[in-house]
Amino acid sequence: MTVLSLNNISKSYGRIQALNNVSFNVPEGSVFGILGPNGSGKTTMLGIVMDILRASSGSFQMFEKTPDESTRKHIGTLLETPNFYHYLSGEKNLRIAAEIKQKGFNEIDDVLKKVNLYERKTSKFSTYSLGMKQRLAIASALLGNPDVLVFDEPTNGLDPVGIAEIRELIKRLATEGKTIIMASHLLDEVEKVCSHVAILKRGNLLTAGSVDEVLVNEDIVELNANNVSKLLEVLHIMKGYTNIKQEKNFVRLFYPNGTADLEHINQHCFSGGVVLTHLQLKKKSLETRFLELTNN
Amino acid sequence: MFHLLKIEWLKVKNYRTFWILSALFLISIFGINYIVFNVQQKIYNSQQAKGMAGMILGAPPYSFPTTWQMTSFVSSFLLFIPGLLMIISITNEYSYKTHRQNIIDGLSRTQFIVVKMLLAVIMALASSVMVFGTALTFGFIDGSSSLSFESFQYIPYFFIQALSFSSVALLIGVLCRRSGIAIGVYFLYTVVLENVCAGLLNHYANYSGRYLPLQTTDNLIPLPILRSAQKQFIPEANISVLLCLSVVYLALYFFIIKRKFETDDL
Repeated sequence: MTVLSLNNISKSYGRIQALNNVSFNVPEGSVFGILGPNGSGKTTMLGIVMDILRASSGSFQMFEKTPDESTRKHIGTLLETPNFYHYLSGEKNLRIAAEIKQKGFNEIDDVLKKVNLYERKTSKFSTYSLGMKQRLAIASALLGNPDVLVFDEPTNGLDPVGIAEIRELIKRLATEGKTIIMASHLLDEVEKVCSHVAILKRGNLLTAGSVDEVLVNEDIVELNANNVSKLLEVLHIMKGYTNIKQEKNFVRLFYPNGTADLEHINQHCFSGGVVLTHLQLKKKSLETRFLELTNN
Repeated sequence: MFHLLKIEWLKVKNYRTFWILSALFLISIFGINYIVFNVQQKIYNSQQAKGMAGMILGAPPYSFPTTWQMTSFVSSFLLFIPGLLMIISITNEYSYKTHRQNIIDGLSRTQFIVVKMLLAVIMALASSVMVFGTALTFGFIDGSSSLSFESFQYIPYFFIQALSFSSVALLIGVLCRRSGIAIGVYFLYTVVLENVCAGLLNHYANYSGRYLPLQTTDNLIPLPILRSAQKQFIPEANISVLLCLSVVYLALYFFIIKRKFETDDL
């Protein structure tokens, strides 16, 4: 089943085109990352899906039907910033969320424990640090154990420990079979947890699909020797790679996914009279791919 | 509906500003009437004016049945307070962005804004109950005539006026979004702007100023004393016209508020 499908969504704020004919599908059970630089339209897109913004044109479905407010009750969402009543405690704020979602108050302690906020549940929201506010927002999203979670920059404002915790939480939720839609500009975050990815740039969808498809994995081997010209000579008579590039500090060889054999390369160079000073296999990172896509 | 009201209750239950202002408002209704009542007692009981006051002013205004009208008239000067509460209630949501969060969590836009309108009705109702109690109390303390519900219509009129103030406040809150600006615009309009316009229109355009939004409901409850003297200078307003117009205005406020909230980017 498709959890969310966007059909040609466009949104403009006056002369600024925030989204331009964006369409993609989020399959059930996926961890779907929406990537894009600041101002690329990630939050606008999620805002439209959550009915707090009006699309200029286009339509979207959730669970293969046009959504209404009761659909949103079964989705846990953290959008942009944690929005709570400053004069109420964390716990009382969650009561409001639980009442809106028509869930009982008995889950509140559980979700607060999950995000390590239980000890501060009676403190006013206004006294929380940015990281604690973010945790409360995540706790609120977890209320009612929803099958679909939408996180917009979930690790915003968290310390390294908090970031790792949230990452673990997202991975755990994913293994429980929940669908997670996550917008982020932090690439390693998406790389570490996502199964699918969509990349936005200035309101245009550059690509969308499973991480493997989008990243078109390539093996990159970095190597170096004291005598670089001799190294290049030797490498030219070696087979198997698709491309060779000389960089400032090393030579790069490009191989189709999973075909680079370091032992063979080392042996080939050695028997050709070159002793390697550096030999390393690198996977193409999402960052490289992202920069490639967004730079055009 | 109960579910929606419960959400609103959870929001205000621990909001101290709301309760302090509400308490001050209710105490002030009693207080302001107490002051005016004391003035009445001074005039009607003083040695020189004895008998004179009764001849000129008629029965004491706080006696039955004019107490309904008098208390409503005097209390209406405090109606800016429930308006202020309404503005705080809606602009808080905007500044905390909880209007978005409530929708995200599963309210519809219509549900969210209808509850705010309902809050305006509840506040007007509570004010009217307080005015009723105060009128009853001073009617008995005055004691110059026995309990009578003649001209009791002024209590419902007060409700309409209170609702009109609260809804104008809600409308300004929805249009301005920021609390500072909204409060400024609200006071500027209710205290200064509309009164100036009304004054000008009354002077130059055959008393049409009384049909301005807040003047309409204000004119439902005129000062109960010196009626004949007033009539010589100012023609009386037609109550049915004022009532119809009040309903039209209220419907218009609610329509704009609902429409605006349902169609805007939040």
